[in-house]
Amino acid sequence: MSAIEVRGLERRYSGDVLAVAGIDLEVSEGEIYAFLGPNGAGKTTTVRMLVTLLTPTGGTATVAGFDVVRDAPSVRRSIGVALQEAALDPLMTGRELMHLQATLHGLPGHEADRRGDALLTRVGLADAADRRVGTYSGGMRRRLDLATALVHDPKVLFLDEPTTGLDPVSRIAIWDEVRRLNDDGTTVFLTTQYLEEADQLADRVGIIDEGKMAAEGTPTALKAQIGRSHLEVIIAEGGSTEAEVIMARFGEPMPSKNGVLMVGLLHGASDVAPIVRALDDAGLCVESLNLVQPTLDDVFVEKTGRHLEGADEEQPQLADEPVSA
Amino acid sequence: MTGIAYDARATWTLMLRGINEIARVPGAAIPGVLAPTIFMCGLTAVFGSLTKLPGFTTDDYINFILPVGFLQGAGFTGAATGVNLARDIELGWFDRLLASPAPRGVLLSGTVLSASLRVLMPITLLMIVGLVLGVSFPGVDGLLLGVFLAACFAAVAACYGVLIAMRFKTQAAAPLMQAGVFMAVLFTTAYAPQDLLTGWLHTVAELNPVTQILEAVRQGFVGDVTWADTWPGLLSLAGLGAVLIGLALRSLRRAGA
Amino acid sequence: MTATTARLPAPALGLGARLRNESRVVAELGRRSVRQAFRRPQFLAPIIIFPSLFLAVNTGGAGQAVNLPEFPKVHGFLDFQLAGAMLQSTMLAGVSAAIALALDIEIGFIDRLFAAPIARASFVLGRLAATAVMGAISALWFLSIGLIFGAHIEGGVAGALVVIVLVVLNATAFGTLGAALALKAKSASTAQGVFPLVFVILFVSSAFFPEALLLEPAKTIAEWNPLSLIADGLRDPIISDLSLRPTLEALGGIAIVAGIGSALSVWGLRSRIRNA
Repeated sequence: MSAIEVRGLERRYSGDVLAVAGIDLEVSEGEIYAFLGPNGAGKTTTVRMLVTLLTPTGGTATVAGFDVVRDAPSVRRSIGVALQEAALDPLMTGRELMHLQATLHGLPGHEADRRGDALLTRVGLADAADRRVGTYSGGMRRRLDLATALVHDPKVLFLDEPTTGLDPVSRIAIWDEVRRLNDDGTTVFLTTQYLEEADQLADRVGIIDEGKMAAEGTPTALKAQIGRSHLEVIIAEGGSTEAEVIMARFGEPMPSKNGVLMVGLLHGASDVAPIVRALDDAGLCVESLNLVQPTLDDVFVEKTGRHLEGADEEQPQLADEPVSA
Repeated sequence: MTGIAYDARATWTLMLRGINEIARVPGAAIPGVLAPTIFMCGLTAVFGSLTKLPGFTTDDYINFILPVGFLQGAGFTGAATGVNLARDIELGWFDRLLASPAPRGVLLSGTVLSASLRVLMPITLLMIVGLVLGVSFPGVDGLLLGVFLAACFAAVAACYGVLIAMRFKTQAAAPLMQAGVFMAVLFTTAYAPQDLLTGWLHTVAELNPVTQILEAVRQGFVGDVTWADTWPGLLSLAGLGAVLIGLALRSLRRAGA
Repeated sequence: MTATTARLPAPALGLGARLRNESRVVAELGRRSVRQAFRRPQFLAPIIIFPSLFLAVNTGGAGQAVNLPEFPKVHGFLDFQLAGAMLQSTMLAGVSAAIALALDIEIGFIDRLFAAPIARASFVLGRLAATAVMGAISALWFLSIGLIFGAHIEGGVAGALVVIVLVVLNATAFGTLGAALALKAKSASTAQGVFPLVFVILFVSSAFFPEALLLEPAKTIAEWNPLSLIADGLRDPIISDLSLRPTLEALGGIAIVAGIGSALSVWGLRSRIRNA
């Protein structure tokens, strides 16, 4: 059974603003699905419809087998939600918030306390449990938010940009926790604007842009659609021509740029060692070596013509467009 | 730019920012502008019959209570200045000012001068509504004196607000600022002449320096302006000002200690 | 990824269990709101501090009013003023609740509640429960300081209990108005702007002075103002023996406020859910 099934989902605001323009997607049970897109693409609007905070204006969606409109209460019983604004009351302590969340999900008093304490320990907040949330760092708040989403052991967990604004250490801690949850069988639907997050965590990625699905698939398959990885080499003075010939034996020759020699690799990273050995055997000195893999940003550029990160910046010139003066 | 020219320009800029608060956060400013007028109308409607008591110094309660509105307006404006500073501290904006070359005295003067100018808004509304409702015109001398005293009291109240903001560094201290000015203005001969006050308020009003300031503002509305009724108010204002400006300046100089 | 462990959603509950659940939720949300009031001085000050200061000033400043010919016979001016202080306190409690609820909406805390399997009305009911508790605290506070500073409760213990019940009901009624305000205002600073309005409505009632001694047009407005019924009902057990009519009239005034507030709250909640 699908954990999440979406058909033609649409959300139109007054004034004819179409935030989500009819998307289709399916998330299998036990999957981690990353919903990737720039700011304003429609990620948060989609999540809010799936967690019954927003009513779709078109299409259908089911979560854990329940329709988000007709059977919203059943959806709410089945899901855990950690929203982008980390809606935490700064005047409450961590423990009080956990207890409240547990009560909201029908856990009686003693069970609410037990479960709350266990989750606070799990996310590393046991020592800070009796401090007010207003004194927590950004990373601590996200961990607390995640813990509150788990208090009732949900089937499906929705995470809306769970690591935005966090330092690298906190980000990795959240990733580890998400992986642990998934290992326990929880389906995870997360939205993100970070390529690495989608790459690291997701079984499958859906790319959304301007309210429409731009692409969907596993990270590897999506990147493979775009092309192969290539190797960039800089040779010490005098050996470039000979190096180009050698490198061409191992892959697809590519035009060099500013003294950087490039070759498209047929077999990925495993081609690197033979190339380096051959260059060394020829007595050539390699000054620098760089393995360039296609990224999800390359996928995004291919599908939309714009970069994902820094999407507000101007469009890059594509290779076959004339360069303006 | 250094020296006096810099200080003046920095003070002017900070003062303008304080005045711009009204445009940036009108929802916060409007209650402060309306409140003194609401209180004047309300207290006149509620306690207006007190003028029938023997010993009351006027037949028309609005003449007696409107001057309280001058000081209430000044007090609220001063408290609001403190609340705005507390918000700036919470948001980290004040650190930017503290890290600038502006002397602490300039930071204070810009802030309190904005309060002195902002008080003109509630006072103007008070006078317009008061005149419509039949208050006696206090004469040009009485009006100018009242405005001057209110503007100075606003600056003093703003110093109090700054002091509390610097001590507690949070908007949660707002009730302390508001309660302080509330008590200062109303624990006086606000409602009735000294002889008609009862119990503890009779004693407190006698000792409260703001009573002298209020009587100085009130004189044009209930009679003639005389030096004998003016100088105690000026002296009280100077004394309060000296203390609160000194404390506020010290708190700014010790910021980060 | 490991194989999925089959996990069933929590089953839908029967009516009895649902009611028990919702009661627990309302109690927990109420507890949270009361804690908020005590942890944020800006919420507590309008309920306790400012009405107390106003009571002190009114009593000390206008205390000689008892000598006016038409003033009702009272033990002291403080006895007369206590009702106005409690009324002011409960109205400001309603506005404070509105600000707190508007803040919950602003910071997205309400989404946390809406995403949970609870009845939509529970978050408003929780806030009302807290306002009722604050009403009880307010009544006990003002009766206590009144007694400490020499007031007399002519109606005795029964009279004090009637006052406490009326204050609790009044606080709840103004809580419904506060909820309606928050649902419409959507921002805390807009809700905050209502504070002066509270004083306007109080000044044109018999909260602080006998209706017969108010100046026009306040006197005429006070005759029609439901707050006058509530103020007189709160005052009656303090300044005279307990009697039925003022109490019933106060309940009538409270019912009017609660009716308007509830209707506006339901409308506000419905349009918020509809527009979500």
